[in-house]
Amino acid sequence: MERLKPRKYNRREAIAGYLFISPWILGFLIFTLGAMIYSLSISFSRFNLATNKMRPAGLDNYRALLEDPRVAGSLKNTLFFAILAVPLEIMLALFLAILLNRVRRGAGFFRTVYYLPKMTPAVATASIFLLLLNGNTGAINSALRAIGIEGPQWLVDPAWVRPSIVLMALWGVSGTMVIFLAALKNVPRDLYEVASLDGAGPVRQFFTITLPMISGAVFFNVIILTIAAFQVFDQAYLLFWRDQTNVAPEASLFYAVYLFQQAFRQFNFGFAAAMAWLLFVILLILTAIQVKIGNRYVYYEGER
Amino acid sequence: MEIRRTALLAAGVALVLGAVSGTAGCESGSDDGGGGGESVSFDANVSGALRAWAFDNADDVGKARIDYAAKQLQGVSITMDQTGFDAQKFTTRLAGGDVPDVVQMDREYVPTYAAQGLILPLEKCFSANNVDPKQRWYPNVVGDVTYKDQVWAVPQFYQPPAIILNTTVMDAAGVQPEDIDTSKPDVLLAAIQKMYKASGGVPTTLGFDPQAVGQTYLWFISQGGKLVGDNGAPTLDDPSNIYPLETLKKIVDAQGGFAKYKGFTDAFDTFGDSNQYVRNQVGAQVNAQWYPNVLSPYKDKIKIGAVPFRGKDGQPVTVAYGGSFVIPAKAKNPSAACKWALALTEDGSWDAAATARAATIEKDKAINTGLFTGSPGPDKTIRDKYVKPSGNAGFDQVISTYYDVVATGKSAGASPAGQQLKQELTNAITSALLGQKTPQKALADAQTATMSAYRSIAGS
Repeated sequence: MERLKPRKYNRREAIAGYLFISPWILGFLIFTLGAMIYSLSISFSRFNLATNKMRPAGLDNYRALLEDPRVAGSLKNTLFFAILAVPLEIMLALFLAILLNRVRRGAGFFRTVYYLPKMTPAVATASIFLLLLNGNTGAINSALRAIGIEGPQWLVDPAWVRPSIVLMALWGVSGTMVIFLAALKNVPRDLYEVASLDGAGPVRQFFTITLPMISGAVFFNVIILTIAAFQVFDQAYLLFWRDQTNVAPEASLFYAVYLFQQAFRQFNFGFAAAMAWLLFVILLILTAIQVKIGNRYVYYEGER
Repeated sequence: MEIRRTALLAAGVALVLGAVSGTAGCESGSDDGGGGGESVSFDANVSGALRAWAFDNADDVGKARIDYAAKQLQGVSITMDQTGFDAQKFTTRLAGGDVPDVVQMDREYVPTYAAQGLILPLEKCFSANNVDPKQRWYPNVVGDVTYKDQVWAVPQFYQPPAIILNTTVMDAAGVQPEDIDTSKPDVLLAAIQKMYKASGGVPTTLGFDPQAVGQTYLWFISQGGKLVGDNGAPTLDDPSNIYPLETLKKIVDAQGGFAKYKGFTDAFDTFGDSNQYVRNQVGAQVNAQWYPNVLSPYKDKIKIGAVPFRGKDGQPVTVAYGGSFVIPAKAKNPSAACKWALALTEDGSWDAAATARAATIEKDKAINTGLFTGSPGPDKTIRDKYVKPSGNAGFDQVISTYYDVVATGKSAGASPAGQQLKQELTNAITSALLGQKTPQKALADAQTATMSAYRSIAGS
């Protein structure tokens, strides 16, 4: 098969192209890149909110990151969350996508139903989970009790607060599921037919056809979910840090929550900006590692 | 083509970099000083426009006061942002220069913004309008908003806590009102044991709900603790704070331990038809003054009474924060802001509010439990004029108890790290009550974290 040679675009077409994407470019430059550069400059400054003035601080804010034990603690909590949440979400989303891919009648209905949780506002979801996760009367522990298991105090016991946030995060699994579903729809049927003729069972087919064929989607989801996991804020904030009378064990202090506290409760904008840049660097390194590893295993359509 | 594209991109980035660094350069300078509040003057004669951020979801009382204040500021055009206070939104508005003239916020937040120079001290505001804060409000209410010897807000409301008794549960267990005495832990614990019930290790009735994390200041201050030093610095590791925490632990341990206690109380239908008094889930519970209003529709289903919360010395005591109005340092019309906030908290405003509330109560056939304004004068006037025997002796005794204790208030102190202090104190209580840390260790850890926030905010 010969690859198609891309047609050379002429100058007028190029200008038209740039004009079409110029709103996005402007938005990116002003609201993303501009904001990033501004936050980088804040991270090297002491910012006074009352006067709106900055004073150079050199590396003080970055030095303070190393000296504050809560930075490392919140990073550890966030890492724990990411290690637990990302694989679980991938597996659950893939499982649901495979189920939905098999449904023939009422497929649209089921897809809508499964996608609804993603549409629910985080505050509403948190309210529901506060009830579900109640250690005495919550539905989760009631179900566990019915099969003879005494469930934990999800929202109080420090050992269980992070898993409780993972559970709430899994509620929004349908976003990932939809991507998997789209990938599954693209796997050619004839591959399965040939495999069946060769005597491959469903498990073998999954590992030798499905998984390699959707490896691009898996790779994409792993990267996106890892980034999202390190930035997790809503769930931890709503379950534990929404006001000061809440029981908020140290285990629930995630990196983004601590960053928020530093910026908006303690007005340490320089420190908070430095925290943001540290997270950016961590995510950059993690993503680079994932890309390096992923390139070995991911199948891209059109590749030889 | 490739080279041109790269050059275009580089030029764009350079343009943005230049623009941003240019902006930053303009803003660079000394960060000393606050908002220049000392130079602001206040005048009793006001005009122009007033932008207020206050009265989120105003009820009949709020609407009556807004109308009253508007009449006192004839000639001033008032526009209101009636959304709830949000620290992030406020900070963003300050940074963006979109500053309202007056902002309603909890009194706990006030010292934080005062320490940053983001709001104005109000001595000149009071003197321009001939208001003596010590005369207008209870001393503890003024104490909540006093930082470095200056008053930084116009306070409003003081809804004191007391203990509402569930007579049904108490009678069944043979417990008397005098047994619910927070100054005598042994007597209290004996009463708790008589009333406490559990099924499979899970509580079904608490003898006494101390509101361990909801009424932290009350417990610590009333039992001899000290949370804030004279300069606003946190003092969570003060040895006097050990006793209140140990007392709380005994109360909670006698009722299944903190985890089960917390899980049980979190499931209360506090505002609903199946609240903890209707379902007999508590024998007694610490509640703020507004809670009898919630219970009022269920007066025929419950039997209640009340006793004061007593301090370590055996005397009734109350500790609570409330609302307030602050004037941002960059307010464009501080004089009008001052006059408006003061108008909202003067006798005429409260009289209008009480009249409106009485009309609502008449319509709803509810019980008038009074208004607790934060000012002794209006509190007495409203009680004399509107709070009449309801025909329900238990409710009348509850209302009377709250009026009896309203003047016993103590301030928990004003700290720039107030928000962090409350969070850390809550976490210290949690870890101590769960048995993960000793009270000493829990309070010491909380002190370290709060001090860090204090240094950062107060700059010391």
